[in-house]
Amino acid sequence: MRIEEAKQKKFFPYFLFEITVAALFTVEAVLILAALFPPAIGREIDFSAQYSPRPEWYFLFLYQLTKYFPGRWTFVGAVLLPGLAFSVLLLAPFLDHGKETSLHRRRAAAVTGFGLLAAIVSLTILSLL
Amino acid sequence: MKLLDYLNDRLGFTNRHRRVMDRPVPAWINYFSCFGGITFTLFIVLVLTGLLLSVHYTPSEGEAYKSIQRLNGEAPLGLLLRGAHHWAANLMVVMIVLHMLRVFIAGAYKNPRELNWVAGSFLLLLTLGFGFTGYLLPWDQKAYWATVVGTNMIGSVPLAGHFLASFLRGGADVAGQTLLRFYSLHVLWLPMFTAFFLWLHFHVIRRVGISGGM
Repeated sequence: MRIEEAKQKKFFPYFLFEITVAALFTVEAVLILAALFPPAIGREIDFSAQYSPRPEWYFLFLYQLTKYFPGRWTFVGAVLLPGLAFSVLLLAPFLDHGKETSLHRRRAAAVTGFGLLAAIVSLTILSLL
Repeated sequence: MKLLDYLNDRLGFTNRHRRVMDRPVPAWINYFSCFGGITFTLFIVLVLTGLLLSVHYTPSEGEAYKSIQRLNGEAPLGLLLRGAHHWAANLMVVMIVLHMLRVFIAGAYKNPRELNWVAGSFLLLLTLGFGFTGYLLPWDQKAYWATVVGTNMIGSVPLAGHFLASFLRGGADVAGQTLLRFYSLHVLWLPMFTAFFLWLHFHVIRRVGISGGM
Protein backbone atom coordinates (compact mmCIF):
# COMPACT_ATOMS: atom_id res chain seq x y z
CA MET A 1 0.00 0.00 0.00
CA ARG A 2 2.87 2.35 0.85
CA ILE A 3 4.57 1.66 -2.48
CA GLU A 4 1.30 2.27 -4.28
CA GLU A 5 0.92 5.60 -2.55
CA ALA A 6 4.48 6.62 -3.35
CA LYS A 7 3.89 5.95 -7.05
CA GLN A 8 0.67 7.88 -7.23
CA LYS A 9 -0.28 11.41 -6.39
CA LYS A 10 -3.69 12.98 -6.13
CA PHE A 11 -4.89 15.20 -8.95
CA PHE A 12 -5.48 17.99 -6.42
CA PRO A 13 -3.32 19.93 -5.69
CA TYR A 14 -0.28 18.58 -7.57
CA PHE A 15 -1.59 18.47 -11.11
CA LEU A 16 -4.42 20.95 -10.92
CA PHE A 17 -1.79 23.67 -10.48
CA GLU A 18 0.33 22.55 -13.43
CA ILE A 19 -2.68 22.12 -15.69
CA THR A 20 -3.92 25.60 -14.80
CA VAL A 21 -0.51 27.05 -15.66
CA ALA A 22 -0.44 25.18 -18.99
CA ALA A 23 -3.97 26.40 -19.83
CA LEU A 24 -3.07 30.00 -18.99
CA PHE A 25 0.07 29.85 -21.14
CA THR A 26 -1.99 28.44 -23.99
CA VAL A 27 -4.55 31.25 -23.87
CA GLU A 28 -1.75 33.79 -23.55
CA ALA A 29 0.08 32.38 -26.59
CA VAL A 30 -3.13 32.58 -28.63
CA LEU A 31 -3.75 36.21 -27.61
CA ILE A 32 -0.15 37.25 -28.31
CA LEU A 33 -0.19 35.60 -31.76
CA ALA A 34 -3.60 37.17 -32.48
CA ALA A 35 -2.34 40.64 -31.50
CA LEU A 36 0.98 40.37 -33.39
CA PHE A 37 -0.24 38.55 -36.51
CA PRO A 38 -3.89 39.45 -37.12
CA PRO A 39 -5.57 37.45 -39.92
CA ALA A 40 -5.80 39.32 -43.21
CA ILE A 41 -8.84 39.30 -45.46
CA GLY A 42 -8.20 38.13 -49.00
CA ARG A 43 -9.43 39.87 -52.11
CA GLU A 44 -13.10 39.84 -52.97
CA ILE A 45 -14.20 36.91 -55.14
CA ASP A 46 -13.46 37.66 -58.78
CA PHE A 47 -14.35 34.94 -61.26
CA SER A 48 -12.45 36.54 -64.13
CA ALA A 49 -9.11 36.81 -62.29
CA GLN A 50 -6.50 34.07 -62.60
CA TYR A 51 -6.03 32.44 -59.25
CA SER A 52 -4.11 29.40 -58.06
CA PRO A 53 -5.74 28.17 -54.87
CA ARG A 54 -3.73 27.60 -51.72
CA PRO A 55 -5.31 25.60 -48.90
CA GLU A 56 -4.47 25.81 -45.19
CA TRP A 57 -1.00 24.49 -44.38
CA TYR A 58 -2.37 21.25 -42.91
CA PHE A 59 -4.07 20.38 -46.20
CA LEU A 60 -0.99 21.11 -48.34
CA PHE A 61 0.14 17.44 -48.32
CA LEU A 62 -3.22 16.39 -49.75
CA TYR A 63 -3.07 19.13 -52.38
CA GLN A 64 0.45 18.03 -53.36
CA LEU A 65 -0.57 14.36 -53.49
CA THR A 66 -3.36 15.04 -56.01
CA LYS A 67 -0.81 16.64 -58.37
CA TYR A 68 0.72 13.21 -58.96
CA PHE A 69 -2.60 11.74 -60.07
CA PRO A 70 -3.97 13.84 -62.93
CA GLY A 71 -7.18 13.29 -64.88
CA ARG A 72 -9.17 10.17 -64.22
CA TRP A 73 -6.72 9.03 -61.55
CA THR A 74 -7.45 12.02 -59.27
CA PHE A 75 -9.53 9.71 -57.13
CA VAL A 76 -6.44 7.73 -56.07
CA GLY A 77 -4.58 10.77 -54.70
CA ALA A 78 -7.62 12.66 -53.43
CA VAL A 79 -9.59 9.91 -51.71
CA LEU A 80 -8.12 6.39 -51.92
CA LEU A 81 -4.61 6.93 -50.49
CA PRO A 82 -5.70 9.41 -47.77
CA GLY A 83 -8.56 7.03 -46.92
CA LEU A 84 -6.16 4.10 -46.57
CA ALA A 85 -3.80 6.19 -44.43
CA PHE A 86 -6.67 7.22 -42.17
CA SER A 87 -7.85 3.59 -41.87
CA VAL A 88 -4.37 2.54 -40.74
CA LEU A 89 -4.40 5.40 -38.21
CA LEU A 90 -7.89 4.52 -36.96
CA LEU A 91 -7.05 0.82 -36.58
CA ALA A 92 -3.55 1.38 -35.14
CA PRO A 93 -4.29 -0.15 -31.69
CA PHE A 94 -5.73 -3.27 -33.34
CA LEU A 95 -2.89 -3.64 -35.88
CA ASP A 96 -0.25 -2.91 -33.24
CA HIS A 97 -1.73 -5.26 -30.63
CA GLY A 98 0.16 -7.24 -27.98
CA LYS A 99 1.30 -6.10 -24.58
CA GLU A 100 4.66 -4.59 -25.58
CA THR A 101 4.67 -0.80 -25.16
CA SER A 102 8.32 0.15 -25.73
CA LEU A 103 8.74 1.49 -29.25
CA HIS A 104 12.01 -0.22 -30.21
CA ARG A 105 10.35 -3.59 -29.70
CA ARG A 106 7.34 -2.53 -31.84
CA ARG A 107 9.36 -2.26 -35.05
CA ALA A 108 6.51 -2.70 -37.55
CA ALA A 109 4.41 -0.09 -35.78
CA ALA A 110 7.35 2.34 -35.56
CA VAL A 111 8.17 1.99 -39.27
CA THR A 112 4.51 2.42 -40.30
CA GLY A 113 3.84 5.33 -37.97
CA PHE A 114 6.97 7.35 -38.68
CA GLY A 115 6.77 6.39 -42.38
CA LEU A 116 3.31 7.96 -42.56
CA LEU A 117 4.51 11.04 -40.71
CA ALA A 118 7.59 11.35 -42.97
CA ALA A 119 5.39 11.05 -46.08
CA ILE A 120 3.05 13.82 -44.89
CA VAL A 121 5.93 16.09 -43.89
CA SER A 122 7.78 15.55 -47.22
CA LEU A 123 4.63 16.21 -49.27
CA THR A 124 4.05 19.41 -47.29
CA ILE A 125 7.65 20.55 -47.91
CA LEU A 126 7.37 19.66 -51.63
CA SER A 127 4.23 21.77 -51.95
CA LEU A 128 6.04 24.75 -50.43
CA LEU A 129 9.00 24.58 -52.83
CA MET B 1 -23.45 28.06 3.25
CA LYS B 2 -27.10 27.10 3.70
CA LEU B 3 -27.64 27.85 0.05
CA LEU B 4 -24.60 25.75 -0.88
CA ASP B 5 -25.92 22.82 1.19
CA TYR B 6 -29.34 23.21 -0.37
CA LEU B 7 -27.91 23.14 -3.90
CA ASN B 8 -25.51 20.32 -3.07
CA ASP B 9 -28.35 18.20 -1.68
CA ARG B 10 -30.22 18.52 -4.96
CA LEU B 11 -27.37 18.66 -7.49
CA GLY B 12 -24.67 16.65 -5.67
CA PHE B 13 -21.74 18.59 -7.13
CA THR B 14 -19.28 17.88 -4.32
CA ASN B 15 -19.35 14.17 -5.19
CA ARG B 16 -18.55 14.89 -8.80
CA HIS B 17 -15.87 17.35 -7.77
CA ARG B 18 -14.30 14.74 -5.40
CA ARG B 19 -14.17 12.17 -8.17
CA VAL B 20 -12.07 14.50 -10.32
CA MET B 21 -9.97 16.19 -7.64
CA ASP B 22 -9.08 13.07 -5.63
CA ARG B 23 -8.37 11.00 -8.71
CA PRO B 24 -4.91 9.45 -8.42
CA VAL B 25 -2.39 10.35 -11.13
CA PRO B 26 0.76 8.28 -11.81
CA ALA B 27 3.90 9.99 -10.50
CA TRP B 28 5.93 9.48 -13.73
CA ILE B 29 3.70 11.94 -15.55
CA ASN B 30 5.58 14.79 -17.32
CA TYR B 31 5.01 17.75 -19.61
CA PHE B 32 4.64 15.50 -22.66
CA SER B 33 1.28 14.50 -21.20
CA CYS B 34 0.06 18.10 -21.52
CA PHE B 35 -0.71 18.12 -25.25
CA GLY B 36 -4.20 16.67 -24.90
CA GLY B 37 -5.11 19.19 -22.22
CA ILE B 38 -3.69 22.05 -24.30
CA THR B 39 -5.75 20.84 -27.27
CA PHE B 40 -8.87 20.91 -25.11
CA THR B 41 -8.00 24.41 -23.83
CA LEU B 42 -7.69 25.57 -27.45
CA PHE B 43 -11.03 23.93 -28.23
CA ILE B 44 -12.66 25.96 -25.45
CA VAL B 45 -11.02 29.15 -26.80
CA LEU B 46 -12.45 28.26 -30.22
CA VAL B 47 -15.96 27.71 -28.81
CA LEU B 48 -15.92 31.02 -26.92
CA THR B 49 -14.45 33.12 -29.76
CA GLY B 50 -16.74 31.31 -32.23
CA LEU B 51 -19.83 32.16 -30.18
CA LEU B 52 -18.81 35.83 -30.18
CA LEU B 53 -17.89 35.87 -33.89
CA SER B 54 -21.27 34.39 -34.81
CA VAL B 55 -22.93 37.52 -33.40
CA HIS B 56 -21.42 39.62 -36.21
CA TYR B 57 -20.89 37.19 -39.06
CA THR B 58 -23.55 36.93 -41.77
CA PRO B 59 -23.44 33.69 -43.78
CA SER B 60 -24.81 34.95 -47.08
CA GLU B 61 -23.30 35.46 -50.51
CA GLY B 62 -23.78 39.23 -50.46
CA GLU B 63 -23.02 39.91 -46.81
CA ALA B 64 -20.31 37.46 -45.68
CA TYR B 65 -17.31 39.38 -47.04
CA LYS B 66 -18.68 42.70 -45.76
CA SER B 67 -19.34 41.28 -42.29
CA ILE B 68 -15.74 40.05 -42.09
CA GLN B 69 -14.56 43.53 -43.09
CA ARG B 70 -16.76 45.00 -40.34
CA LEU B 71 -15.27 42.51 -37.86
CA ASN B 72 -11.75 43.49 -38.87
CA GLY B 73 -12.42 47.22 -38.88
CA GLU B 74 -15.35 48.39 -36.81
CA ALA B 75 -16.59 45.77 -34.34
CA PRO B 76 -15.05 46.21 -30.88
CA LEU B 77 -12.23 43.67 -30.44
CA GLY B 78 -13.38 42.09 -33.72
CA LEU B 79 -9.89 41.73 -35.15
CA LEU B 80 -8.56 40.25 -31.91
CA LEU B 81 -11.44 37.75 -31.83
CA ARG B 82 -10.79 36.68 -35.41
CA GLY B 83 -7.09 36.44 -34.64
CA ALA B 84 -7.67 34.31 -31.54
CA HIS B 85 -10.04 32.01 -33.47
CA HIS B 86 -7.54 31.71 -36.34
CA TRP B 87 -4.50 31.05 -34.17
CA ALA B 88 -6.25 28.70 -31.74
CA ALA B 89 -7.39 26.64 -34.76
CA ASN B 90 -3.88 26.44 -36.20
CA LEU B 91 -2.26 25.64 -32.85
CA MET B 92 -4.92 22.99 -32.23
CA VAL B 93 -3.82 21.02 -35.30
CA VAL B 94 -0.19 21.17 -34.09
CA MET B 95 -1.15 20.09 -30.56
CA ILE B 96 -3.28 17.18 -31.83
CA VAL B 97 -0.32 15.89 -33.83
CA LEU B 98 1.98 16.15 -30.77
CA HIS B 99 -0.66 14.49 -28.56
CA MET B 100 -1.05 11.60 -31.01
CA LEU B 101 2.72 11.20 -31.32
CA ARG B 102 3.09 10.99 -27.54
CA VAL B 103 0.34 8.36 -27.29
CA PHE B 104 1.77 6.40 -30.23
CA ILE B 105 5.36 6.40 -28.96
CA ALA B 106 4.27 5.36 -25.44
CA GLY B 107 2.00 2.64 -26.87
CA ALA B 108 -0.71 4.15 -24.67
CA TYR B 109 -3.50 3.13 -27.06
CA LYS B 110 -3.19 -0.55 -26.17
CA ASN B 111 -5.75 -2.66 -24.34
CA PRO B 112 -7.99 -1.37 -22.68
CA ARG B 113 -7.68 2.04 -24.39
CA GLU B 114 -8.17 1.09 -28.06
CA LEU B 115 -11.53 2.80 -28.37
CA ASN B 116 -10.08 5.99 -26.95
CA TRP B 117 -7.67 6.11 -29.89
CA VAL B 118 -10.58 5.47 -32.27
CA ALA B 119 -12.56 8.35 -30.70
CA GLY B 120 -9.44 10.53 -30.97
CA SER B 121 -9.00 9.66 -34.66
CA PHE B 122 -12.56 10.80 -35.33
CA LEU B 123 -11.84 13.99 -33.39
CA LEU B 124 -8.85 14.59 -35.70
CA LEU B 125 -11.11 14.10 -38.73
CA LEU B 126 -13.70 16.48 -37.24
CA THR B 127 -10.97 19.08 -36.58
CA LEU B 128 -9.91 18.90 -40.23
CA GLY B 129 -13.60 19.26 -41.14
CA PHE B 130 -13.79 22.39 -39.00
CA GLY B 131 -10.69 23.73 -40.79
CA PHE B 132 -12.08 22.98 -44.26
CA THR B 133 -15.55 24.47 -43.63
CA GLY B 134 -14.22 27.45 -41.65
CA TYR B 135 -11.79 28.40 -44.42
CA LEU B 136 -14.70 29.22 -46.77
CA LEU B 137 -16.59 31.50 -44.38
CA PRO B 138 -14.67 34.78 -45.08
CA TRP B 139 -15.90 34.29 -48.66
CA ASP B 140 -12.82 35.80 -50.27
CA GLN B 141 -10.85 34.76 -53.32
CA LYS B 142 -8.59 32.19 -51.62
CA ALA B 143 -11.46 30.69 -49.62
CA TYR B 144 -13.61 30.30 -52.71
CA TRP B 145 -11.00 28.58 -54.86
CA ALA B 146 -9.75 26.33 -52.06
CA THR B 147 -13.32 25.09 -51.64
CA VAL B 148 -13.71 24.56 -55.39
CA VAL B 149 -10.57 22.38 -55.33
CA GLY B 150 -11.58 20.60 -52.11
CA THR B 151 -15.09 19.72 -53.28
CA ASN B 152 -13.70 18.67 -56.68
CA MET B 153 -11.51 16.16 -54.83
CA ILE B 154 -14.58 14.68 -53.16
CA GLY B 155 -16.26 14.72 -56.58
CA SER B 156 -13.54 12.43 -57.94
CA VAL B 157 -14.96 9.40 -56.08
CA PRO B 158 -16.15 6.85 -58.69
CA LEU B 159 -19.96 6.56 -59.07
CA ALA B 160 -20.96 8.45 -55.89
CA GLY B 161 -18.62 11.43 -56.45
CA HIS B 162 -21.01 13.62 -58.41
CA PHE B 163 -23.73 13.14 -55.81
CA LEU B 164 -21.38 13.74 -52.83
CA ALA B 165 -19.91 16.93 -54.31
CA SER B 166 -23.28 18.46 -55.21
CA PHE B 167 -24.67 17.41 -51.83
CA LEU B 168 -21.83 19.25 -50.09
CA ARG B 169 -22.11 22.30 -52.38
CA GLY B 170 -25.89 22.44 -52.39
CA GLY B 171 -25.77 22.65 -56.18
CA ALA B 172 -23.55 22.12 -59.19
CA ASP B 173 -21.10 24.92 -58.27
CA VAL B 174 -19.68 26.53 -55.15
CA ALA B 175 -22.14 29.38 -54.51
CA GLY B 176 -24.17 31.07 -51.78
CA GLN B 177 -25.87 27.78 -50.96
CA THR B 178 -22.43 26.22 -50.29
CA LEU B 179 -21.57 29.04 -47.90
CA LEU B 180 -24.75 28.44 -45.90
CA ARG B 181 -24.13 24.69 -45.87
CA PHE B 182 -20.54 25.07 -44.69
CA TYR B 183 -21.66 27.53 -42.02
CA SER B 184 -24.27 25.04 -40.80
CA LEU B 185 -21.66 22.27 -40.70
CA HIS B 186 -19.14 24.53 -38.97
CA VAL B 187 -21.40 25.79 -36.18
CA LEU B 188 -24.03 23.04 -35.74
CA TRP B 189 -23.25 19.61 -37.17
CA LEU B 190 -19.51 19.32 -36.52
CA PRO B 191 -19.76 20.69 -32.92
CA MET B 192 -22.52 18.16 -32.19
CA PHE B 193 -20.41 15.19 -33.33
CA THR B 194 -17.34 16.68 -31.60
CA ALA B 195 -19.25 16.90 -28.31
CA PHE B 196 -20.09 13.20 -28.55
CA PHE B 197 -16.56 12.03 -29.34
CA LEU B 198 -15.07 14.37 -26.71
CA TRP B 199 -17.39 12.88 -24.12
CA LEU B 200 -16.31 9.37 -25.19
CA HIS B 201 -12.63 10.42 -25.14
CA PHE B 202 -12.86 11.74 -21.57
CA HIS B 203 -15.19 8.99 -20.38
CA VAL B 204 -12.68 6.23 -21.22
CA ILE B 205 -9.84 8.11 -19.53
CA ARG B 206 -11.96 8.63 -16.41
CA ARG B 207 -12.89 4.96 -16.41
CA VAL B 208 -9.48 3.36 -16.93
CA GLY B 209 -7.07 6.20 -16.13
CA ILE B 210 -3.90 7.34 -17.90
CA SER B 211 -1.78 4.44 -19.17
CA GLY B 212 1.28 3.39 -17.20
CA GLY B 213 1.38 2.91 -13.44
CA MET B 214 -2.34 2.71 -12.86
